[in-house]
Amino acid sequence: MFGARRLVAAATVVFVAASAVRAVLAYGPPSIDDPAAWPLTTGLLLPCLLLGWLVAVRAPASPIGPALGLTATMPAVVFTVEEWGATYTTGSPWPGSRVMAVIGAGVWPWLFLGFVTLVLFFPDGLLPGRRWRVVWAAFPVAAALVNFTVSMPGTVAEPGAAPLVLPFALRVVLVVVAFLSFLGTLLAAASSLVVRYRRGDQLTRHRLRWLMFAALSVPILLAASWLATALGAPGEIAYLGFLIAMLFLVPGAIAVAILRHDLFDIDRLLGATLSWVVTTLISAAVFAAVVLAVGNFFPDRVGITTAAFVTALVLLPLQHWIHRTVGRFVDPDRTVALARIRDFVRRVRDGVAEPEQVEAVLRDTLDDPALRVLLRRPGEQFEMPEGAIPLQTGDSVVGALVLGTTSARRIRRAREAAVEARLPIEVSRLRLELREALAEVRASRSRLMDEVALERQRLERDLHDGAQQQLVAMGMRLRSLQYQLEPGSPAYREIDEVVETVEGTVAELRRIAHGVRPSRLDDGLAVALRRLVADSSVPVDLVVPDLEVGEGVATAVYFTVGEAIANALKHARATRISIEVEIVEQRLRVLVRDDGVGGAKEGFGLTSLRDRVASVGGEFTLDSPPGAGTSIRAEIPCAS
Amino acid sequence: MRIVIGEDSALFREGLSRLLTENGHTIAGTASDADELVSVVRAVDPELTIIDVRMPPTMTDDGARAAAVLRNEVPERPILMLSQHVETRHVVDLVGTGAFGYLLKDRVLRVADFLDAMRRVADGGSALDPAIVAALVTPTRANDPLAALSAREREVLALVAEGRSNSAIAAQLVLAERTVETHMRSIFQKLRITDTPDTHRRVLAVLTHLTG
Repeated sequence: MFGARRLVAAATVVFVAASAVRAVLAYGPPSIDDPAAWPLTTGLLLPCLLLGWLVAVRAPASPIGPALGLTATMPAVVFTVEEWGATYTTGSPWPGSRVMAVIGAGVWPWLFLGFVTLVLFFPDGLLPGRRWRVVWAAFPVAAALVNFTVSMPGTVAEPGAAPLVLPFALRVVLVVVAFLSFLGTLLAAASSLVVRYRRGDQLTRHRLRWLMFAALSVPILLAASWLATALGAPGEIAYLGFLIAMLFLVPGAIAVAILRHDLFDIDRLLGATLSWVVTTLISAAVFAAVVLAVGNFFPDRVGITTAAFVTALVLLPLQHWIHRTVGRFVDPDRTVALARIRDFVRRVRDGVAEPEQVEAVLRDTLDDPALRVLLRRPGEQFEMPEGAIPLQTGDSVVGALVLGTTSARRIRRAREAAVEARLPIEVSRLRLELREALAEVRASRSRLMDEVALERQRLERDLHDGAQQQLVAMGMRLRSLQYQLEPGSPAYREIDEVVETVEGTVAELRRIAHGVRPSRLDDGLAVALRRLVADSSVPVDLVVPDLEVGEGVATAVYFTVGEAIANALKHARATRISIEVEIVEQRLRVLVRDDGVGGAKEGFGLTSLRDRVASVGGEFTLDSPPGAGTSIRAEIPCAS
Repeated sequence: MRIVIGEDSALFREGLSRLLTENGHTIAGTASDADELVSVVRAVDPELTIIDVRMPPTMTDDGARAAAVLRNEVPERPILMLSQHVETRHVVDLVGTGAFGYLLKDRVLRVADFLDAMRRVADGGSALDPAIVAALVTPTRANDPLAALSAREREVLALVAEGRSNSAIAAQLVLAERTVETHMRSIFQKLRITDTPDTHRRVLAVLTHLTG
């Protein structure tokens, strides 16, 4: 609203003008009213105007600045009219004082204009809908009507000729209509707050709570004033304190609500104040009731002591309940938020929700999309971010809650939420710890297996190129030596035998090397598997595409299939075996089925298969119902 | 026969040189790595080149690659590959061509058989190790026609692939030569290869089929 400052400026001009006129009225020839009244009323209205300026400058879009300005200016104008009119009966009447006196008699409804505007507009403009517009437009009409009926001739002691005389009946109707409509618009304005609270978002409710707090302070301060008067304090001082507090506190609370609604933890303040008031009232009532009831039968002292005792007894259990109930009433968002967290914790316990969702749940319930749940990782120094809320288990800090936006209220809310959500937070931390430990173990096992695969490859090379080659070279030398001997001589025949032994040893070495690492894997896993199944004594249906996989995976799959075939032949007495190998979404799937007796149980053979598959990060499943064959499935991740 | 040996193990190289010299062959040159081998063969143009599959510099298939280079230069150049173990991937392109042999190293110890194989290769024929042939005649594809062969037929096919003649096969399997002929016809029918009475060409047809 571009005109917020201009409106406040206009209000200020009117306020200054009215105050100046009143100063002349008070200290000039008419000497209206007590000399202390002018500074007092002006001083009381001034803070409201200054706050109007503050709000208009800091929040130019808010209608509350001008509303505060109006709230300060209207009384000044009303007082001016009244005091101007009052000069009519003095020795030095001002020009037009008669008219002013007539208007001034019923001008008081205008005192409420600022208040009604404030209430209707707080905190962010008129409520949507025609009705609220009508209420705001109806108020000045009602006020004018009341002003008119009150100022009408016949109602007030008429100092001069009446400008307009109406029949009595019409006047009565007019008075009734005027007051009813005035009262009606006032109530409607007040009810707008209730409507707004019900419909409003969190911010609106939060701001309204400041207003509620300010409104609540009025009866408390009034009661305090009564108490002060009852205790013998001079009435002026007691009520002056009340008035000052009222005129500072209420506009102050409104200004804070608009400018810095997160300044204090208003919910807590309001809740504590309200529950204190309720507790005090109840205790006073109980005390009074007991004194009345018991006082008739016992001496005074016994009665009072009993009353104090009973009051304490009643209050002990009541106090907690009152606090909770008031809290629920004043701060339903908190109740809702905590209930949602409790519901989430319950779902986690029932296994319906994942504890890792705790961050999302907290973000949602605390209405803080930037909120983060930091968890301490095992073996890591945890740095507490500044302003974060520590999450504790016992004495140790296990993490932190980092808020996106902080305020006293949000921090308190988050602390409560953190306590409430302790279980999922702790569970997700433990799961994180476990997951990382498991990932570490898997990674280290995979590294180890790569190392083993390379080691096997080296060993195979060494066997082939080292020992085996040297044996062949040795055999060749023996053959060369043989040529120097007589064919058919015993030494000649013996060399034949030795060379045969050498050949046998080379074949044996080749067999050992194959066990270490099948050299047919050099031709690729698919080719190696085809050769492997060709060695089988029963028909094997093999479906395998050409695939590129790592050395570790290839070796693991080769030996797994080999062992599966051996098991099928040895234990299951299979007559046909089918093997399917495929890569789907970077996972190598191997399925080995046979038509054997089934009923395979976990034992040494299967355990070693399972370990082999697991060693390259794969999963192994066995399905072997008795009499219906065995199927073995392995799924191994492979980035190809 | 003038022979060049490409072999990185000095022990094996010297042993083989000595054995071949003693059997009346001439060692025209030796090389201990693939690059050296290619230049030596170019220089001396031997009647037979014996090459180890695994050689420096990379110790993987440098020998086989050197063989491919030499074959590209002179397509009919006789080459006998040696290997410590069965691996078909590196030589599969050469197997179907003539004047090519591929044996496991320890076959050297059966000196007579080895010399015979050398002779076959130098004459433009083929000499494949039974273990390597076994790997080749294993059905490696889905719907491989090899799967349709009987065990006996596969046995006969393996011997053909090794480069044996019908009579040699009959002697080895203790069969009448006519029975071998019958098996051959059946094999050629199942594999859809055109038969030919010439042993060399028949072997090549079989190998071309196996390595295709």
